Amino acid sequence: MKNVLHWNPPEGLRGVEVTYTVQYFIYGQKQWLGASECRSISRTYCDLSAETSDYEHQYYAKVKAMQETKCSEWAETRRFYPFLETQVGPPEVALTPGEKSISIDLTAPKKWQRNPKDDTVSMQQIYSNLKYNVFVYNTKSRRMWSKCITNSTLELRWLEPSTLYCVHVESFVPGLPRLTLPSQKQCISTLEDEMSALK
Amino acid sequence: EFRFGPCRVEGVVLPELWEAFWAVKNTVQAQDDITSVRLLKAQVLQNVSDAESCYLVHSLLKFYLNTVFKNYHSKIAKVKILKSFSSLANNFIDIVSKLQPSKDKDMLSISESAHRRFMLFRRAFKQMDTEVALVKAFGEVDILLTWMQKFYQL
Repeated sequence: MKNVLHWNPPEGLRGVEVTYTVQYFIYGQKQWLGASECRSISRTYCDLSAETSDYEHQYYAKVKAMQETKCSEWAETRRFYPFLETQVGPPEVALTPGEKSISIDLTAPKKWQRNPKDDTVSMQQIYSNLKYNVFVYNTKSRRMWSKCITNSTLELRWLEPSTLYCVHVESFVPGLPRLTLPSQKQCISTLEDEMSALK
Repeated sequence: EFRFGPCRVEGVVLPELWEAFWAVKNTVQAQDDITSVRLLKAQVLQNVSDAESCYLVHSLLKFYLNTVFKNYHSKIAKVKILKSFSSLANNFIDIVSKLQPSKDKDMLSISESAHRRFMLFRRAFKQMDTEVALVKAFGEVDILLTWMQKFYQL
């Protein structure tokens, strides 16, 4: 839910001092509102996360360029729907090895916070049907398989002992067309087989 | 499958509906200039109980089929939009045909509550010029699908 508006500077004004002003609009409401932190700025982006934090609303944004006394037309975005278009990050992944098993514990990704002191909101609260694709790779047999789960724990059983397995996980919301961000790959070895340990 | 309270609808693939609308979303929404009006307001879709949901989705989808899609169809010039439009319409027909909102007397207050919500939407639609309202309603299918999504189980 970190929503940043980006734009390109006007052509033909390289080296000339240009400033920009941004406004945003909530679909279904009456007027354009100024983005308080993006008035007469020289950078070419504006963080509208606070202004668009109600993800059930839809928004438009527009920007205009100013150079001395001259002013450009507004350049306006299409309709933006945070609930649909936000990218859901990967979960946190914790692996615990057993002899022939690995237990995987997932923590749902958090909603982006502007201020670290703000209360954290789990994306699970926003997308109640959030799911995970867990990908597992056996480095010895070079075999990869995946499993789709809803809850936050998965026990991989019938694994080979003393074998390195690598895992990465993607969060996704069924139905919505979205790019997914996989978690960092994590590798862990299953424990030694007790029988061979006794020999 | 969809579970709108007691109403079950199987065999509908929600990603297909999203894919169909996604393909035309920007084109259709760009045709809607009256951005100060939202037909599917928060009061229509927020905090809908499970019991109400079957009545409400039935009314909304029937309206989309009998009014929005029926009249919007003649406005479609681009093949890409026609393809998405047909996919959405056929899926809506499938869903409506499988919905069986209960007619029990003890559900009267719930069905009336759902009807009041639907009438908020319909009144807003009727208050607009028909052509403009058709474009706006079609452009708000993402709001409708987002609400329906909450009742969808893989």
